[in-house]
Amino acid sequence: MFDKILVANRGEIALRVIRAAREMGIRSVAVHSTADADAMHVRMADETVCIGPPSSSESYLSIPAIIAACEVTGAQAVHPGYGFLSENANFVQIVEDHDLTFIGPSAEHIRIMGDKITAKDTMKALGVPCVPGSEGGVADLAAAKELCAEIGYPVIVKATAGGGGRGMKVARDEGELERAFLTARSEAKAAFGNDEVYIEKYLTTPRHIEIQVFGDGKGRAVHLGERDCSLQRRHQKVLEEAPGPCITEEERARIGAICAEACANIDYRGAGTIEFLYENGEFFFIEMNTRLQVEHPVTEAIFGVDLVREQIRVAEGLPMSFTQEDLVINGHAIEVRINAEKLPDFAPRPGTITQFHAPGGLGVRMDSALYDGYRIPPYYDSLIAKLIVHGADRDTALRRLARALGELIVDGVDTTVPLFHALLQEEDIRTGNYNIHWLEHWLETNLRE
Amino acid sequence: MSNKTHESDVAFIRALAELLNENDLTELSVKREYGEDDTLNVRVSRRGEAVTTQVSSPPPPPAAAAPIAAPAAPAEAAEPAEDPASHPGAVTSPMVGTVYMQAEPGAPSFVGVGQQVGEGDTLLIIEAMKTMNHIPAPRAGTVRRILIEDGAAVEYGAPLMIIE
Repeated sequence: MFDKILVANRGEIALRVIRAAREMGIRSVAVHSTADADAMHVRMADETVCIGPPSSSESYLSIPAIIAACEVTGAQAVHPGYGFLSENANFVQIVEDHDLTFIGPSAEHIRIMGDKITAKDTMKALGVPCVPGSEGGVADLAAAKELCAEIGYPVIVKATAGGGGRGMKVARDEGELERAFLTARSEAKAAFGNDEVYIEKYLTTPRHIEIQVFGDGKGRAVHLGERDCSLQRRHQKVLEEAPGPCITEEERARIGAICAEACANIDYRGAGTIEFLYENGEFFFIEMNTRLQVEHPVTEAIFGVDLVREQIRVAEGLPMSFTQEDLVINGHAIEVRINAEKLPDFAPRPGTITQFHAPGGLGVRMDSALYDGYRIPPYYDSLIAKLIVHGADRDTALRRLARALGELIVDGVDTTVPLFHALLQEEDIRTGNYNIHWLEHWLETNLRE
Repeated sequence: MSNKTHESDVAFIRALAELLNENDLTELSVKREYGEDDTLNVRVSRRGEAVTTQVSSPPPPPAAAAPIAAPAAPAEAAEPAEDPASHPGAVTSPMVGTVYMQAEPGAPSFVGVGQQVGEGDTLLIIEAMKTMNHIPAPRAGTVRRILIEDGAAVEYGAPLMIIE
């Protein structure tokens, strides 16, 4: 059993890990920059070490500083949280070379999943569904027509050398294919000096559905259902819920089993998330996150498990404390991310919190590092709180979310709370009828004033 | 106190305030003794300027100031009496690590109190990640105080020595 672990992170996720450790009787070490000397994670930890100046690259991202902090405090393991060094294979290797334990997957798995092409090839080989398309460049129009007849329309033609939207054309049927193919080719030639294009099935209104997986690193793995994180702004998740409003029990069991088996086959250790685009009952792999996710509490709520505790257990070589059969969904959970940002342009608003009051009551969880008088430093990201509600069903959870948002007080800085009050008035949110484009469209039409 | 003395006091204070402005002073204090049990103490200062000089030192208020300090938080209670880190001659640690005062066990210390050092002279070693980092003197001077012990763990920014 670990006596002491070091938390290589800050903010609410550092508190999350410190709390789990304390419940397990493990002492915690907080590391911090000079800008975070007064931060909540520093106040809550059993020991603290200042590791550098405000800039993340010289503090929370400084591998030598974090390893040295382990050495001077005698911490035996490092929990990376999310972001910062959590998906840095080199860091994992260095941690292990110093005879310390990394609370997370192996360096090799992080490396594989960190590279988009290797990740997709690996997942495909493990039987995880990916977006169908050409395996490389498409030589001519005849080959393009043959391929598209097989994968089905609409399709998107993309420049192999491309990026940034140039050399990308959508064809809704075979009639449009010729023009799309030839335009994409000439645009690719003009923009990148290379006219090679490839073709993929085009998803028009997909949802972002991700599967939580967990492995013991010794060939056993389970899935903990899905989270629907379709409500995004500029690829940043804003609201997440579980179970997904559109996912059936059969779909969950099928895709969940595929994901769990893939993780078991590679001896995956700890928490992971396999992200998919979902459209018309089909799942298409996007990427795998080899860490704890920001939105993990919604999964914890509906399954009644502590994912951080499990991470620490399997890092110590202990078995998982649940089997697939133990994991039964209970009710519905929703998380909203509260950022110190001013609407409508979501401009970051660091500043001093003059008053903070967290909502409470049945089925309400507030993960936040705020306190009265706390100064939000300008150096880090703007997430200041996660409000998670749990209820017997989706309708109860939505009502509870509205009630809890009403109790919440964050004075002194602008926050994204008004966005959630407004979203809860929307019929599409109440019915769960949204996709990955919904929020961007809604913001364009509703947040002008 | 009669009404008359009150008025003359006000006039006196007003004159002091004008003096402050005319001579571009930040603070002025006067004590007058008119007789037994009859003294006047006046201190006139410009708030604006005084406040800015205070704010220019940024360290945030100590943890004890906040009401929510967690029960198990380390007992880093306020001891603001004298902070060596803010001493103008302080040499602070550029990294986290373990301090060694000499090149190897049994060897003499790099420096001692009262010793003259030149800029760039090694003051001590900080071990981080199994690497020995020589910490040089940032300037020439005399070692006035050594604030850490051999083998101690130091944080980033921790005061190591005072060199004047």
